[in-house]
Amino acid sequence: MKFGIFYEISVPRPWDPGVEKRVFDNCLEQVALADELGFDSVWAVEHHFLEEYSHCSAPELFLTACAMRTKKMRVGHGIVVCVPEFNHPIKIAERTATLDILSGGRLEVGTGRSATWNELGGFRANPDETKRTWDEFVRCLPKMWTQERFGYQGRSWSMPVRTILPKPIQKPHPPMWVAVTSPGTEIDAAERGLGSLGLTFGSVKEQETKVENYRRIIANCEPVGEIVNNQVSTVNFLFCHEDTEKGNKLGRRMLGTFNFLAAQLLAAREAYPTKSYPSLGLLPSLRKEASGPADPAGVPEGIAIGDPERVLRACKRWESVGVDRINFLLNAMETIPQEEVLNSLRTFAKHVMPHFQDSSSHAAAAGGGR
Amino acid sequence: MPISGTMDVAAFAAGAHLAEIHGFKTEDWTLKGAQILNVYYEVDIDLAQRLMPVTVHPVIPAYAMFNVTHYPESPVGPFTIADVRLGCRAGVRPRGLTLASYVDSEAAARELAQRWGFPTRVGKVALRAFHDRVVGRVVTAEGRLALEVEMLDRDFISGGDVQYVSSMHLCRNREDGKLTIVQCDPEWTFSKAERGRPNLVSFDSALWNGGDKVRPNWPISASYAIADVTLSKIRYVSDPNQDAFRGTTQVAA
Repeated sequence: MKFGIFYEISVPRPWDPGVEKRVFDNCLEQVALADELGFDSVWAVEHHFLEEYSHCSAPELFLTACAMRTKKMRVGHGIVVCVPEFNHPIKIAERTATLDILSGGRLEVGTGRSATWNELGGFRANPDETKRTWDEFVRCLPKMWTQERFGYQGRSWSMPVRTILPKPIQKPHPPMWVAVTSPGTEIDAAERGLGSLGLTFGSVKEQETKVENYRRIIANCEPVGEIVNNQVSTVNFLFCHEDTEKGNKLGRRMLGTFNFLAAQLLAAREAYPTKSYPSLGLLPSLRKEASGPADPAGVPEGIAIGDPERVLRACKRWESVGVDRINFLLNAMETIPQEEVLNSLRTFAKHVMPHFQDSSSHAAAAGGGR
Repeated sequence: MPISGTMDVAAFAAGAHLAEIHGFKTEDWTLKGAQILNVYYEVDIDLAQRLMPVTVHPVIPAYAMFNVTHYPESPVGPFTIADVRLGCRAGVRPRGLTLASYVDSEAAARELAQRWGFPTRVGKVALRAFHDRVVGRVVTAEGRLALEVEMLDRDFISGGDVQYVSSMHLCRNREDGKLTIVQCDPEWTFSKAERGRPNLVSFDSALWNGGDKVRPNWPISASYAIADVTLSKIRYVSDPNQDAFRGTTQVAA
């Protein structure tokens, strides 16, 4: 099991002149500490126009800043929107290769297609087309990274033969992932040999079924790249505190704030009837989570909130269903004071990480140990 | 935290045409073969916020739903109804806040108002399906054009692709005289669905209890469906002066 941290970068109103900088600075301070503590990776979303919920519209810049402040952590796009109105594929290839170089070969590339009308409508993208453009993009990117010269005539985009520069330093190329929100997307990931980057907070049982499907199908995949990235990652909240009551209370507040905020967005399917988005994606999952079954402390199953013992149980539960990585959301709307977030990372590294094989050597640096 | 509605409920109620609901106990209406035209447009969010009670949050981006539905059969005979709603959230749940409704049947207008709190007025309401478009048109009893809306370039989709939301109606309860928000949770069983290009030909916000505050500025989508609709009993009502978490009461299972 590997542990990462995951950023939406939510910024509470009122948006006074300094508030965005304060939030970004807090995130970067967390990243630097997480690197010292042995967290494996930092991921950043690409979202546009999502008021308060996410001000992370230029993740390549944020991730570059993360790479400059860290030594070991991998930096991950979670995800790049593979829709031409958002990002031209040539620019994606160029930007990601540059970030791979600047980070010393620590880049992970998550791909996806957006699921809100806020974003799709804002860029005037056709929701019917996004799955197709995503498929074209993920098949082109590895070739753009690895071939000296590349030309393409496709459905959503084309280019004459050119040399796309620079090239990533990871060989054959950085690992690729797919955001899995809609049911069945884990199958799309597996068929293409891509990692499954879970971005919803579904139940353990749901995830178990997805993992089983994914492992079965990827065993016989036709990879779009030159490597198969057979990994399942899921996202979770993290607030770990040695005082059980405080851990539960602050953690629940973060969870509730995040869900409440996300629910105000307009899902693509809610606004625009299309078979391209068979479910509402992230939003109903969050609503379900907000009202789903919880333990006596009010924390839903599988959520890494509470004292170290409870957080450890939650992580072990995810490990038991075959999840390889958990990426943690550390805060929402700055609900939790920065010093508490940093202490939560330290507490997790000291008391929880050592119980997982892949993380134990790093956790020792935090003073942890069995 | 998410922005909430800023409506002055008492002032709005004084100037708006609202329904008087006869308590919250009503039975289901099952309405077969309804033809439903829904056209969605983004609207100015700052103005829309002022048409929402604190109970709800504007969806981001704010949008209006222009709905025209023909019911070929009902307990009071066939009727056609048009609504203008604002997309919103009650807590975390998606809803459409109905600003006003026009109905072409006095009996239906009365029953819908008394049973579910629809803010109905009688008017000429028409829904026409042509080979290349579906048109909804509303003219007030005084002869003023309130709405003309179209779905162009009809294209078949699956009923499963269509997502409607429950509506909320600000009304006055005859039993205690208080203003309340009634949630109406219809169930839809689709037999046909289409999607097309939205076109708002004419819309007069003031005729829909909207003053000058409903300003459509960007088309989103249009759909046309045939479905069996059940207007279910009322389960939830909300205090228009409180947020949904604190002010919502369950009145039936």
